[in-house]
Amino acid sequence: MVRTGNSSRIAISGGMRSGSTVPAPMGPNSTAQGNALGSAKESMTSALKGRNPRTCSAITRAVTLTFLCCICVAPCAARAGDKANYYRLVPINVSEAQAGSRSPHWKPAPEDLALEVSGIAVLDDERVAVAIRKGEIWILDGVYGDPPNDVGYRRFASGLHEPLGLLWHDGAFYTAQRTELTRIRDTDEDGLADEYLTVASGWGLTGHYHEYAYGPKRDPQGNLWLTLNVGLGLKDEHLARTIREPTLGVSQGRWRGWGMKVTTDGKLVPVCAGMRSPCGIGINRAGDAFYTDQQGNWVGTNALHHMRSGAFFHHPEALASMNESGSPIAGIESIPTGLPYPQAVERLPAMKSPAVWFPYKKAGQSATDIVLDDSRGRFGPFDGQLFVGEFTLASVHRVFLERVGGEYQGACFPFRSGFASAVLRFAQGTDGSLFAGLTNRGWSSLGTASHGLERLVWTGKTPFEIREMRAQPDGFALTFTQPVDPHTGGDVASYTMSSYTYTYHATYGSDEILKRDLKIESATVSADGLRVRLRIAGLRELFVHEVSAAGVRNRENQPLLHSDAWYTLNRIPPAEQRPPLSSRR
Amino acid sequence: MTRNALRRDGRFGVGRLIGLAFLLGPLLAARDVHAREPPFVAAFDRFGRHAELEPALAGRLLLTELNCTACHATQNERLQPRGGPRLDGVGVRLGRDWLRQFLASPHAVKPGTTMPEVIGGLPPAKRDRAVAALVAFLSTRREPFREFEASGANPLPHEFWRKGNVDRGRRLYHRVGCVACHEPDDAADGLARPSALDNLLAQLDPEDIEELGLTAAARAVRSVPHANLAAKYTRQSLTSFLVDPASIRPSARMPDLKLSPIEAAEIAAYLLAGAADDPATPEAAVERELIAEGRRLFTDLRCANCHALDAILPLPARPLADLNPAAETNCLDAPAAAIPVYGLDAAQQRAIRAALDECKRPDSPALAAAELVKFRMLQANCFACHERGRLGGVGRKRQAYFEAAGHVDLGDEGRLPPPLEGVGARLRANWLAKVLAGEGDVRPHMLARMPRYTGDVTAALPAAFAEADARTPADASDAPADPNQLVDAGRMLLDTGCVQCHPVRGESLPGVVGIDLAGVPGRVHEAWFRGFLLDPGALKPRTRMPTFFPKGRSANPDVLDGNVDLQIAAVWAYLKEVDRQPLPEKIAQARSQAFELVPGERPIVLRTFMKEAGTHAIAAGFPQKVHFAFDANSMRLAQAWRGRFLDAYGTWFVRFAPPADPLGDDIVSLPEGVPLAKLASERDPWPAPALDAAGYRFRGYRLDREGVPTFLYAFDGFDVEDRIEPYGKNGLKRRILIRSQSAKGGGVSSKANGPAIWFRAHLGKSLRQAREVCTDDRGVKVAVPQVVGRRSLLRESDGRQEWLLPVVVGQPLELEYRW
Repeated sequence: MVRTGNSSRIAISGGMRSGSTVPAPMGPNSTAQGNALGSAKESMTSALKGRNPRTCSAITRAVTLTFLCCICVAPCAARAGDKANYYRLVPINVSEAQAGSRSPHWKPAPEDLALEVSGIAVLDDERVAVAIRKGEIWILDGVYGDPPNDVGYRRFASGLHEPLGLLWHDGAFYTAQRTELTRIRDTDEDGLADEYLTVASGWGLTGHYHEYAYGPKRDPQGNLWLTLNVGLGLKDEHLARTIREPTLGVSQGRWRGWGMKVTTDGKLVPVCAGMRSPCGIGINRAGDAFYTDQQGNWVGTNALHHMRSGAFFHHPEALASMNESGSPIAGIESIPTGLPYPQAVERLPAMKSPAVWFPYKKAGQSATDIVLDDSRGRFGPFDGQLFVGEFTLASVHRVFLERVGGEYQGACFPFRSGFASAVLRFAQGTDGSLFAGLTNRGWSSLGTASHGLERLVWTGKTPFEIREMRAQPDGFALTFTQPVDPHTGGDVASYTMSSYTYTYHATYGSDEILKRDLKIESATVSADGLRVRLRIAGLRELFVHEVSAAGVRNRENQPLLHSDAWYTLNRIPPAEQRPPLSSRR
Repeated sequence: MTRNALRRDGRFGVGRLIGLAFLLGPLLAARDVHAREPPFVAAFDRFGRHAELEPALAGRLLLTELNCTACHATQNERLQPRGGPRLDGVGVRLGRDWLRQFLASPHAVKPGTTMPEVIGGLPPAKRDRAVAALVAFLSTRREPFREFEASGANPLPHEFWRKGNVDRGRRLYHRVGCVACHEPDDAADGLARPSALDNLLAQLDPEDIEELGLTAAARAVRSVPHANLAAKYTRQSLTSFLVDPASIRPSARMPDLKLSPIEAAEIAAYLLAGAADDPATPEAAVERELIAEGRRLFTDLRCANCHALDAILPLPARPLADLNPAAETNCLDAPAAAIPVYGLDAAQQRAIRAALDECKRPDSPALAAAELVKFRMLQANCFACHERGRLGGVGRKRQAYFEAAGHVDLGDEGRLPPPLEGVGARLRANWLAKVLAGEGDVRPHMLARMPRYTGDVTAALPAAFAEADARTPADASDAPADPNQLVDAGRMLLDTGCVQCHPVRGESLPGVVGIDLAGVPGRVHEAWFRGFLLDPGALKPRTRMPTFFPKGRSANPDVLDGNVDLQIAAVWAYLKEVDRQPLPEKIAQARSQAFELVPGERPIVLRTFMKEAGTHAIAAGFPQKVHFAFDANSMRLAQAWRGRFLDAYGTWFVRFAPPADPLGDDIVSLPEGVPLAKLASERDPWPAPALDAAGYRFRGYRLDREGVPTFLYAFDGFDVEDRIEPYGKNGLKRRILIRSQSAKGGGVSSKANGPAIWFRAHLGKSLRQAREVCTDDRGVKVAVPQVVGRRSLLRESDGRQEWLLPVVVGQPLELEYRW
């Protein structure tokens, strides 16, 4: 990997160069999305034509093995060739700090921009804007350069209080600061923001550091979604700024632990509650809003949730605001504790199971941003799926969702590790690549850097992966990115499965409990080799179902790039929903 | 039961049953062992073989390091055996094949091993069966690997031991200190930097070297062998071992280098590079008889004497004092009949004989502290890194791998572990204990690590160092001095030389890397500190620390009259107080250059937490050096001050989001509560402060061409613009304009007959109004135009006084604040 400790400095001088080329008032017509979708189909076609697995199978196999060996490890110098076979990391600005990420003396290196990226807005084919944690918005151009040797940097806005999101919409930036959602514009077109208008506020802020506000993300109806952390262990002057719900005996700042939306007419609407540290928000292709929560008190492991009105997720202290005007939740009088999660849900029907649990360590330690692959194939074979950032392990996971009984559930998969630092933010570029905003200050992560911006680019080679994992009335159906070898794919010994759940309690995190190994009764490969039906006895609702397909090979005899997947089986689909499947043994 | 307890039991409980086991096997002729690599004991090999240790001392070293005294008990505290690896989880850690080969022929499988060939004492026909039985028994010891906890502070990928990176492992292996003892990889490109000494030695012939007294320095230091690791370990077992060596080898001869699990996995990946992925060590079929036999043999062959396992009791042999080295069969050179084969060479035999002779002399004197230090350092091989008493230090060629972080050039001091000459006079014993416990890392620039010692190996060292190195301290200065004056002078003195190379409290001048001076008084003796400052080179040869008192005279004659003793006492006094004192001025300046907000041409606006302005604070700083903080929750102009504006470090970069404090002078807080209220009558009380200022909504701010913010908020049906900026040299000017929201929407003004709107301009214990100026008891003045002043209302409010001004919709209200 290229060390860019120096290049940030070079780039600054380059980027400050004129100011006139960069800022350019950005009208509503220059939104990135339109461009990206327009040329996507063509690009996908050419990518598919270019692929010829047979000619390069030996090399691919060798590379795959190497890749497997170091897939989950932090980046190292100059070995990008191996790891980047399918998805390549391009560092744009990657910097070290002068002290460790948890040091009370953390400082950026002298002259460093401190690009601790906490929000990314894609502007056009040249530029992105980033919010950084110290409270600024920068506009970067030349970011698609490969290598990005000529990136320009210009500060657009400053003085914000730890902004943790960035949206470019209708000629303005939107970002959630600790106190409010702010709309930021440059009205006199001198390239500097001069208008910081409050779009929404009114949530409590006791002054505790953990009270972050995240967002916004915009759904197709135009709602702007926000999430609000709970404060932890509030005392003294912090406690004095809380509201209290007497029945449950919980105190928090107003709407702390809630998911909120701001409607197009500017109303702040409380939607759902029970969040602990909802660091990531994302909208799927259907327009539904999701958030990720992080393992901790009441949260057994990291999770992805569908935000919808009246849902309660984990953290009971959020219910301090249950009786506030506008709350869609009422009447929760007690919180079960110390129970296996399925029993807790039974006792507390308002509690909605995550669409996806991310088993701790196996699928990350700290889930962050959610981004939809909306590139129609320009980011590889996972169009329409969600990608979820991972802070501690500096990586990204992939999520497949389906609706069963009207509710979302699905599976997560390892996708790519080796980012230079903790992954906090994502945005999809106009070419389908993913911009990743990095910062690990205050916590810890793998990787060599303290903060920065990287871009994850699909090389055009299709990895052999489990693309989808769907629940069936009597098992699961796996869809692969490449046809599987019928022998290994159809051999039950190629797979292992187990299921488990978590304890719902006030304690930090949870072990996997009630674990059971599952017997795979049959594995049936479809005629095209792309699907395998696993028939399994003993499925359990509200349990995580872990599959390892380590024995499966594709027709070039390669193993899967990632053989593990974790499906959160909230509901077993009823038998009549079983889709027809032309299959052979 | 602990190992020590086991040993005691062995000695005193069953101790008198010695000898019986000798009769179990038939006598065998002594076997030739000279072809083998003798057991490797690092300090013996480096010093004992080259007449740098007295023979008896070298022999005593072998008695403990070869575990002679595990069988041949002695009450001499200093001769207790180091013990062998724990075998609790050996059935999971090591493969059966490897165990079988190793037990059958330890010297062949691991040349230089200190593990004797225990089955050598059995008749050949019984050996295979014995090995099979021992392996069967050991394979049942399947304590699982330790689980490593992952947390936000501790990133740990799933099955991290599979994911080590060979390159990073190679780097760590050559950097953290492994190669002080183990073999460096000559092919480790770019990791070695030849030292000046190496270059010098390369040019000298042997006679020159001897003449210069460099013989020891020139001698290559042989590596502690680690056999064929790929055959012995899986990635997981080696990783687990490297993370916590003492869990398997409590002797700490393999020290704990404080590797994180991920670092251990990297080094394991490097050491096992090319090996196949972890083979499982499946539980073998139960072979009850064989296992039982193995367990018996574990006792009979005296395995339990060295290896703690379950509660299996050791089986003592003849006590040390009763040994006869000249006996026809013995462990030294004539193993036979149930005597394990150690493979000692002649030098080792001679040394042990010398030690045994010494033991037999009555009343061998107790070791003096200096000897205890030396013996412990030999046992634990501290000399591999540290020099003391003309022994040791990182060996030739190995030095080339010791580096400072980022190749920063701090000389050998910055990269090589420090010599321990006189360390007992330098470091306080409690600090030394912390260092030995692995909690004394003060050299962030040094890549080599001081190991963590937890057992009793080093427990006696701090006191022994102190005793061995005790020195009568030089007379401290008795010049009287005011302690505060000393501290201030010390702070000043730090700026003239210290801060150029040393950080203080984690803060430093740009680019400075070195030992942080905060905490020095907790670490070193004051007498040593004085001596070191007076003449650094005398206490630390080749140090880069310069003297600031050449010929005993101060380079700063203006401070404390140039009194050297007082100046050193001042630096000491400041360092003792440093946590409560401001940083040295130069460091403070460097810090403020990076993080202090200094409004240059335009105002600076920063949202943050502040004590006075609350969680919705907006601080605004101006080039005129008059600044204020606005509370965007209650729309209160909360605080104003002059001079320096604000240090943004906490707001920008501290996770715990501390409130920002105004930096300047003349800080005043201004009337609390909301600024505007509708009052039905002049007797209506001012609304009490609420959690959320009821009826108010902050709307943001706009910056004008000059960058001055105008705050926007809504209040009870009105839109308010509130602009605050410096006025004159010392004051603030504020302009408030309210407009009806409904009027803007084309409706009728709500003013007509509604309650009057008031602005609370001042609030205090007692207010004095003189026409259009109102002053509080602190001297904070609020002035308004005469026409407004005439209509103002000064009234009591809950034990205080408040000054209210009427507000007319659509007409700006202008005020000045002076203080």
